[in-house]
Amino acid sequence: MALELVKEKWSNAVSTLTIGAIKEEGGTRQKVVQCGGEESLPFLFSEGKIPHRPVIAMEILDTPPDDWPLTLTSALGSAIKNPVEWAIKCEKEFKADLLCLRLAGAHPDAQNKPVDHLVKVVIDVLKVTTIPLILVGCGEDKRDNEVLPRCSQAAKGEKILIGEVVQDNYKTLTASVLADGHSIIAQSPIDINIAKQLNILITDMSLPHERIAINPTVGALGYGLEYAYSIMERARLAALSGDKMLAMPFICFVGYEAWRAKEAKALVSEFPSWGAELDRGVTWEALTATAFLQSGANIMVMRHPKSAELVRNHIDELMRG
Amino acid sequence: MEKYKIQFFPDNKVIEVEKGATILSAAISAGIHINSSCGGDGVCGRCKVIVKKGQVASLPTGRITLEERKQGYHLSCLSVAQSDVEVEIPKESRLDSRSISEDDSYMLRLKGIFSEPVDVDKGESVVSEEFFIHSPLATKLFLKLPKPNLDDKISDLERIYRVIRAFQDIPVLQTGIANIRRLGELLRTSDWEITVTLGKRNGTTEIVIVEPRDTSGRNYGFAFDIGTTTISGQLIDLNSKKILGTKAAFNKQASYGADVITRIIFAHEPDGLEKLHHVVIDEMNRMIQELTVEHAIDLNDVTCCVCAGNTTMIHLLLKVDPTYIRREPYVPTANFVPVIRAAEAGIKLNPRGLLGCVPGVSSYVGGDITAGVLACGMDKTEKLSLLIDIGTNGEIVLGNKDWLISAAASAGPCFEGSGVTCGMRASKGAIQKVKIDPATFDVQYETIMKVAASGICGSGYIDIITELLRAGIIDRSGKINGSLIHKRIRDGEYGKEFVIAFKEDVGTTGDIVINEMDIENLKRAKGAIYAASSMLVRHMDLSFDNLEQVFIAGGFGTSVDMANAIAIGLLPDLPSGKFFFVGNSSLIGAREIILSHDALFDADAIAKQLTYFELSVEPNYMDEYVAALFFPHTDLAKFPNVRF
Repeated sequence: MALELVKEKWSNAVSTLTIGAIKEEGGTRQKVVQCGGEESLPFLFSEGKIPHRPVIAMEILDTPPDDWPLTLTSALGSAIKNPVEWAIKCEKEFKADLLCLRLAGAHPDAQNKPVDHLVKVVIDVLKVTTIPLILVGCGEDKRDNEVLPRCSQAAKGEKILIGEVVQDNYKTLTASVLADGHSIIAQSPIDINIAKQLNILITDMSLPHERIAINPTVGALGYGLEYAYSIMERARLAALSGDKMLAMPFICFVGYEAWRAKEAKALVSEFPSWGAELDRGVTWEALTATAFLQSGANIMVMRHPKSAELVRNHIDELMRG
Repeated sequence: MEKYKIQFFPDNKVIEVEKGATILSAAISAGIHINSSCGGDGVCGRCKVIVKKGQVASLPTGRITLEERKQGYHLSCLSVAQSDVEVEIPKESRLDSRSISEDDSYMLRLKGIFSEPVDVDKGESVVSEEFFIHSPLATKLFLKLPKPNLDDKISDLERIYRVIRAFQDIPVLQTGIANIRRLGELLRTSDWEITVTLGKRNGTTEIVIVEPRDTSGRNYGFAFDIGTTTISGQLIDLNSKKILGTKAAFNKQASYGADVITRIIFAHEPDGLEKLHHVVIDEMNRMIQELTVEHAIDLNDVTCCVCAGNTTMIHLLLKVDPTYIRREPYVPTANFVPVIRAAEAGIKLNPRGLLGCVPGVSSYVGGDITAGVLACGMDKTEKLSLLIDIGTNGEIVLGNKDWLISAAASAGPCFEGSGVTCGMRASKGAIQKVKIDPATFDVQYETIMKVAASGICGSGYIDIITELLRAGIIDRSGKINGSLIHKRIRDGEYGKEFVIAFKEDVGTTGDIVINEMDIENLKRAKGAIYAASSMLVRHMDLSFDNLEQVFIAGGFGTSVDMANAIAIGLLPDLPSGKFFFVGNSSLIGAREIILSHDALFDADAIAKQLTYFELSVEPNYMDEYVAALFFPHTDLAKFPNVRF
């Protein structure tokens, strides 16, 4: 007798998030990116539709990063000195699905760059690229509340994904995003309850749930990856079982986490037995990403072109079923 | 023994300690708060201090980084002074909540503690008052003794016994030597007409007091509930079972620590136990004094008292070292305390009067819960019942006559009106019912005894949060909507605040407000209670829907709007007919016991039957708790009838 696989039947699907707008929709993108929408756990094609593949956003900074290891910066070249060039490179050369611009220079402890300058960076990046944009602030609530609403206004029509809001600071940005037609990243500290609470708070402000992405906060391989994985898995199981307030696509800042790991950036001279640093760093980022693909990640924000390529090929294979 | 001076900054307080005392214990003795969630075990790393001057010896710890060590950081619980030292308590060790200076939060916590005892509601029993046979802990009996003569020359004492036994068959009778010494003369000078007070002491009956003439019409007792935050006392006429008066006051032990754990640690300090013992008996004696004076009762006619309290409170009342309550395996010195003379514990009634303590279950489930179960009749009913005591320790009991299981959720004192900016006990002048107009934000409220408002009690807070949610003034995480412009909404010291009553209207020194920090505290308290109830019910493979009756106890108001208590997620979403508000169930239970010896037997049986479910070791509790930190709950499906 042939083996009959048990198929899970789910009552709900992940919501579909659309990033970017083409000309006809009021934007200037050549294509839009859709993510989410799956009716089953990751890559279980026989259990439900998986309409959109996971996508890779390449991360760029408005200010040259000063704490990125050489293995990373050398792969990006001189483009990291200029967000516009960097953006072009990510689109043309690295074939990114989206861009993720982080306004690190806005932080008061960094360069505390003026709002007008930061708004111009956003406009310039949008001008030279045709792929959809994710925009992330510096993480300092007060400063983000000052900078991001202005950027949101300036990008009106482009349907960008802006973040991040947290439970103690979500109102200002949610109001802007609502007014300007964008979507929002809701960040929670590896906590399924807070993730859900924040989504309820945001939707209570009448932002539709299709315009929210969950950043569950992840950890790199060796740095709590399993914990983040299980939280995502729980959230996704709840979503598929009918919980609309957890049914948003996940965005995972894989590059940010992986390249902080000592194993990713330590020099071979320090740890000769660990092997060449380039392979090590790239592998660390790629492995972290592939694990989260299995827990339901929809958008991977990555840094190294090589690991992005590895993960893209991996997604290709997984999507073949 | 060598002594060292330790000076604390920024408080600028100096305290002298014996060599070997930790910096943390010195700070506690000086009344300075340093965060410490592990209670001084060197585990939590929250009690960091900076040694500015002098020498300390510290045990090694991984909680101090190399960088911090260079800056002079030490864990105060693992460090002892080696000389006079100056210690700075950095901001992070002083704050329980962000953005408030520790001085403020300390004062805030103590606010209202140094208050006069005030009259409070007496509390009605759920079970019928006639349920237990009337047989008070101490009964007075007027005896006309036949004079001895040559035909009847049994001894004076046996003569008394003989007459008593003619009334009632009491096989074992005993009398203290002090009474026997006085007996010969007393009988003859009072012409053989005396009143004896019979006390029930641990299975025997004692002639506690012998008085001349007939005083049997005057027999009074006190029932006490000794809570971590509030002490309540009730004067009862033991003959008529009538409640003559009830008073409550904050437990002044709070100045040595807000919760039982810090008090247990403090008890270990030099004179610590003595101080904790004294503040509680002083408060009790003061209530006895005031109530007897108000009702023109002679202290000598107060023959007994019964106390219900959590295990730590009873230890401290009896001046028994509570140290082992918080040490693994968490064993108290005594759960079943024999009936003793009140004077032995320092309680001033009739000098030979008796003191009974309601038996406890374990270190963290005390006699207050036994008394609560008794008061609600949970041990007598077929119906599956839940008792939720919304007090500082948030005890919960589930079961019926066949089984009983309890859990404790550390809820904090805010529903008792402590630890919240304008909180007060449910007494005269407390705002207890509130309505807020969703369009104009006008506030309508009602105070207890309808006098000018002086603060807000627990039931008032429950209404306020519900109304703020309904009016859209706060979001479901409890944050005040900053974009609203209204004279009642403003920035305060502790986040945004909403004015319930302006000082001009009520004549208080400041406006009566609720701020975001208060809401956060209330949210945590209700979250802890809901999460614990839900865990306990689930632990028994039941759901809230299985419950047939839910008793709500606590000193947070004379009446609670159950629908609002559900709306904020304090109570499960069940039909209102299932809820019974019982008020101070611990005090009611203590009253049952002082009035009936049968009730004491039942309390013993309850204490033996009740099992304890330890939440702190449950891996899911934290998850359940965080899910409950939302109005009403993160899982809205649990509150299908709540709509804002």
